[in-house]
Amino acid sequence: MITFQNVSKMYPNGTHALNHVNLNIDTGEFVFIVGSSGAGKSTFLKLIMCEERPSEGTIIIGDTVVTDLKRRQIPYLRRMMGIVFQDFRLIDNMNVYENVAFAMHVVGASNKEIRRKVPYFLSLVDLQDKAHCKPAELSGGEQQRVGLARALVNNPKLIIADEPTGNVDPALSFEIVDLLSEINRQGTTVLMVTHEHSLVKHFHRRIVEIHGGRVVADTGKVEVR
Amino acid sequence: MKLSSLGYLLKEGAKNIWSNRTMSFASVGVLVSCLLLTGAAVLFSMNIDSAMQSVEGSNTITVYCTQGLPTLKAVQVGEAIKDIDNISECELVPKDQAVEEMLEVLGDNGTVLEGLMGEDNFLPDSYRISMADLSLYDETVAQITSIEGVEKIIDYSEIADQLTELDDMVTTVCFWIILLLGVVSLFIIANTIRVALFSRRLEISIMKSVGATNWFVRVPFIVEGVIIGLVSGGLASLILNVAYDNFISSLSILSFFTPLPLDPYRLRIVLVFLLVGAGFGMLGGLISIGRYLKKDVGVLTTL
Repeated sequence: MITFQNVSKMYPNGTHALNHVNLNIDTGEFVFIVGSSGAGKSTFLKLIMCEERPSEGTIIIGDTVVTDLKRRQIPYLRRMMGIVFQDFRLIDNMNVYENVAFAMHVVGASNKEIRRKVPYFLSLVDLQDKAHCKPAELSGGEQQRVGLARALVNNPKLIIADEPTGNVDPALSFEIVDLLSEINRQGTTVLMVTHEHSLVKHFHRRIVEIHGGRVVADTGKVEVR
Repeated sequence: MKLSSLGYLLKEGAKNIWSNRTMSFASVGVLVSCLLLTGAAVLFSMNIDSAMQSVEGSNTITVYCTQGLPTLKAVQVGEAIKDIDNISECELVPKDQAVEEMLEVLGDNGTVLEGLMGEDNFLPDSYRISMADLSLYDETVAQITSIEGVEKIIDYSEIADQLTELDDMVTTVCFWIILLLGVVSLFIIANTIRVALFSRRLEISIMKSVGATNWFVRVPFIVEGVIIGLVSGGLASLILNVAYDNFISSLSILSFFTPLPLDPYRLRIVLVFLLVGAGFGMLGGLISIGRYLKKDVGVLTTL
């Protein structure tokens, strides 16, 4: 699903964010990306999303050599991904339903399709009763579940979760990762950046540790029973 | 682009205007001023052209006899003028007729001249003449002025020159003012849209994260600019039409100047104003969003 071949990223200010990274993540895997602040985790995600281009090396996502992509082709690559943000990034003046529908409008879904799919994904994250609530009326955990529904609604092949539990209570963190695991069980590849060791320990999935721009530890593929 | 997306984007563009209503009103205000000034300058120029055409088309020169010249002498002056080869028409305008014509032109405002008939009439006798060949204009004028009893000649080339000068001056002044206001309108529209962009940067970042093309991001802001332009164009053409109609009716008492009627141009003015307004709005939108997207809004970057 994701292949990094000898990937390095150096920013114009001279920061060497990633250094000769080689990594392969198969379709259907659930991978925790761990590492301290400034280790290169964000750059790793930005390279996958084509927000940044590598200074060296090749990145392949699905069948696409990302490093060869033209600027105008990037949006179509991003349509195979769903992103869950640490700060939820919900639009305040839209209710829960509209926030999820917004992601479908963007990719040109018909109103009929939106009316059919949004309630389904809201029920998947158990928020069907809060469809008309504004984000401010929800708890942190609920807001993140809206974010999750929004990331899922366009049927992505890959979910990128950038510290999704960073702004929710520890108890609710498990609930969020449980949901991600459930999504992963249905075949979606999940890439989750986190700082929370308790979560990583509890969920027993593949762990990739980045430090100083290098992959310093990789547990390898973990078979989930 | 799908029809459902287009409808959604148009709605979003209209929503932008209301969300940033203060800046939107400012943009409309400046663009209306710019369009009004342009329209007024064009109408002024058209009126000058029309006045010049009517003056030049008349091809009439007035020859004034010396003040107090006896009638017999004045008739002799007329005979001398008629003897010049290039004169095709020569009509005597006795001083009493001249006062009557002035009274007719001035209408109600001419009461002050009513007592100037007969002995009190200070106007000289004059002749209205036409030339057969205008290329011999200078020679003919020289022959007329050499006739004894001729005080002066008034032709309309001088008036036409003055009108041209006035037209040139108004055109130049208006050109710079319009250019300045044009730049200001573009700047304000671009800023209005930049404010909208800034207030919607979260939405744009989400749009980009789920795979929106740059055009999808652009359209609502271009729609916003076009709507601002269309509203400004509509308002400006309405104001110009009403103001010009009032101007015509207030000048109707002056029979010596007939302003150009607006009816044949009304629809054209509305269309041009709408088109120019929409063009300005679209350009303002494109400038702003182009610069914003060039930086490639970050998806994961903290907002």
